[in-house]
Amino acid sequence: MPIQYYIGLAIALFCIGVVGVLIRRNAIIVFMCIEIMLNAANLLLVAFSKMHAALHPTVANAGIDGQLFVFFIMVVAAAEISVGLAIIVMVYRNVHSIDVNFLNRLKN
Amino acid sequence: MNAIILSAVLGVVMMFSSVLVSNQKAYKGIALVGLLIILIANINETYNGPIFEINTYNMLAFDGFSLFFNTIAIVCTGVYFILTSKQIEKVGGHTAEYFTLIFFVLCGATILSAYNNLLMLFIGIEILTIPLYILTGSKKKDLKSNEAALKYFLMGSFSTGLMLMGIALIYGGTGTFALEKIIPAAASAQGAPAVTAQTLSFLEVGGMLLVTFSLAFKVSAAPFHFWLPDVYYGAPSVFTSFMASVVKAAAFVAFLKLFIARAAGTSVDVSKIIGVDWKMIVAILIICTLLVGNISAVRQQNVKRMLAYSSIAQAGFMLFAIFSLNEMAKEGILLYAVAYSLATIGIFAILSRMKDYTFAGYNGLAKSNPALAFANTVFLLSLAGIPLTAGFFAKYYMLASVMQTGHYMWLVIVGVLFAAVSADYYFRVIQSMYFKNSESENEGQLEENPSNIFKITVVALAIVIILVGVFPNSVLYWLYN
Amino acid sequence: MSATEIIFWILSVLALVSGLMVIFSKNPVYSVLWLISLFFAISGHYILMNAQFLAIVNIIVYAGAIMVLFLFVIMLMNLSATAEPKKKVWMKFTGVISGGLLLWILLSVVRSSIDMRGKIAEVKTGDIGLVENLGKVLFTEYAVPFEICSVLFLSAMVGAVVIGKKEE
Repeated sequence: MPIQYYIGLAIALFCIGVVGVLIRRNAIIVFMCIEIMLNAANLLLVAFSKMHAALHPTVANAGIDGQLFVFFIMVVAAAEISVGLAIIVMVYRNVHSIDVNFLNRLKN
Repeated sequence: MNAIILSAVLGVVMMFSSVLVSNQKAYKGIALVGLLIILIANINETYNGPIFEINTYNMLAFDGFSLFFNTIAIVCTGVYFILTSKQIEKVGGHTAEYFTLIFFVLCGATILSAYNNLLMLFIGIEILTIPLYILTGSKKKDLKSNEAALKYFLMGSFSTGLMLMGIALIYGGTGTFALEKIIPAAASAQGAPAVTAQTLSFLEVGGMLLVTFSLAFKVSAAPFHFWLPDVYYGAPSVFTSFMASVVKAAAFVAFLKLFIARAAGTSVDVSKIIGVDWKMIVAILIICTLLVGNISAVRQQNVKRMLAYSSIAQAGFMLFAIFSLNEMAKEGILLYAVAYSLATIGIFAILSRMKDYTFAGYNGLAKSNPALAFANTVFLLSLAGIPLTAGFFAKYYMLASVMQTGHYMWLVIVGVLFAAVSADYYFRVIQSMYFKNSESENEGQLEENPSNIFKITVVALAIVIILVGVFPNSVLYWLYN
Repeated sequence: MSATEIIFWILSVLALVSGLMVIFSKNPVYSVLWLISLFFAISGHYILMNAQFLAIVNIIVYAGAIMVLFLFVIMLMNLSATAEPKKKVWMKFTGVISGGLLLWILLSVVRSSIDMRGKIAEVKTGDIGLVENLGKVLFTEYAVPFEICSVLFLSAMVGAVVIGKKEE
């Protein structure tokens, strides 16, 4: 597969994530859109790792660091999500809403 | 390496001490002893090498700069603990856990000062920020604290997403995550790809742009600053103090390291063809940051909010180091880290004891507590960059580093102008303390009368700031020895 | 068009459609389900590129653990479609416009980048994505970051307890 296809796909997914962050106010959905962004980066890293592997067929394990980076992203994302959902639940307990701008709304 | 390992271990120790030690007062002692151990280990590493010989495969590189920054971060954390541990105990019922999280943040800061690989940059930034999300939201019943945590968390993970996309693009362009593109001999013997192609890469430039934006988020450079006022205002004052001092300095060190390694060296020839001028991008960031920070700070009525905006303005000054990228910038950022962190910690230590966070709340402090008012004045003067305080030389080094690059006189002038503007809002606090009388004369401005030990440490801190201001070389001396 | 290409296009379209449905679904539960379908599509891509370990981890960790956590939280809060206040139309409009601009800029960067022309990502072959090779490198070269990640997990664990515990 030409690498441009993968770059295009990953960038499109990334932009879907960015648009979602910008247009939604529900904190959980915003959070899911951030996950889409992370996954776009993951897909791109794997594609690049396979590209570098194809470019250097003689070198053992060429491009393997890209896939390992994806592994680390997944690890970090899991930690981040546990913290994030804890914060969201805490907010919900107090205000019964997970609107991103809940304080502005309370003032009105 | 010592500092990273020991601060992680100390975090675990604090975690267990919450179960084993029931006396609230003991936590402070454990934390301070722990910090002393880390400090000694770090200084020992500076002169004798690490205790643990660990092959990091060039993921981390400890040079004089990073070790010295670690020393600064550890000392500042120590000062922070001495001054504010009482306030930490008041935040909620999880004192030991807050200390744990602060140790983990310190671990992240030490990683960021030594990273040599984009993977470590990413992990370091995450270790630095994830505990901060928690600390921001640690006042669970306070809606402002809740909102601050939610905002900080969403903005922080959004900027992490940007950074990861940027790193992925850089990887596509260069084939490596290492900061310098030359694969070291040890790694290529292991069979790592020997990708040293110096081809022009649009992807690398695009990736660097995204990583720059993401780091600008983290250091709150305008136009990526909008999360900061709410977060700093909503978070409990004790933790705002830590976020505004050590954490910010660590993020700037990471930013500086990245730019010295990447943008300056490898992308210059590329950027000429594509038309991306890194100097220009950073200059725009600087001017936006100074403008937004200073203008908004002037309009604030609340001291805590004013300090939040002024921390944006200070970030603008620290960005000068990322603009000039020379040896003087490295020295300058260390001096700035010392001057700015100590002054911020001092100001917040006093602020968090005030009843009223508005300017009027400071009225007449000089009469009721002359020692605290004196110390607070020194801290404010240092932030404003008045001569004979540490802040003056910090700002001087920043501007001088730009002068050294030769062509950018106008930027220096802009910097000086905004430094003058910043004096306005810092002086308003001094004015309230000395020249206005409190309306409720007999009640006092502080929540409770501060202990003498607190007064003495605050005044001692002020004297240290003056001493650093008179002899700035006493700090830099340690960098080269 | 070979079978590989057909699979690639199907997976790509599935990923993009799922992504769009995540942000345009009214009901958060539907969003989660579409997100799971997005993760499966991405896992399909990983398998296509012979990154088997990541494909499995992606399904187990993301689609399995994380999305179940999301669903759990949404069910806990009993969010319905009407709970979310509407953002103003012009806000949505500017959001879409700026996202579209970003897409346009990045895509034009990719199109104009000479050095990516003619390069391919290997599909169906290559052994770097196998557990054996990944594991060997992970526990030699990447051992230090792997250990440091434990600090991250510890802080996340402590944090989740501090935040989640009820105040006495």
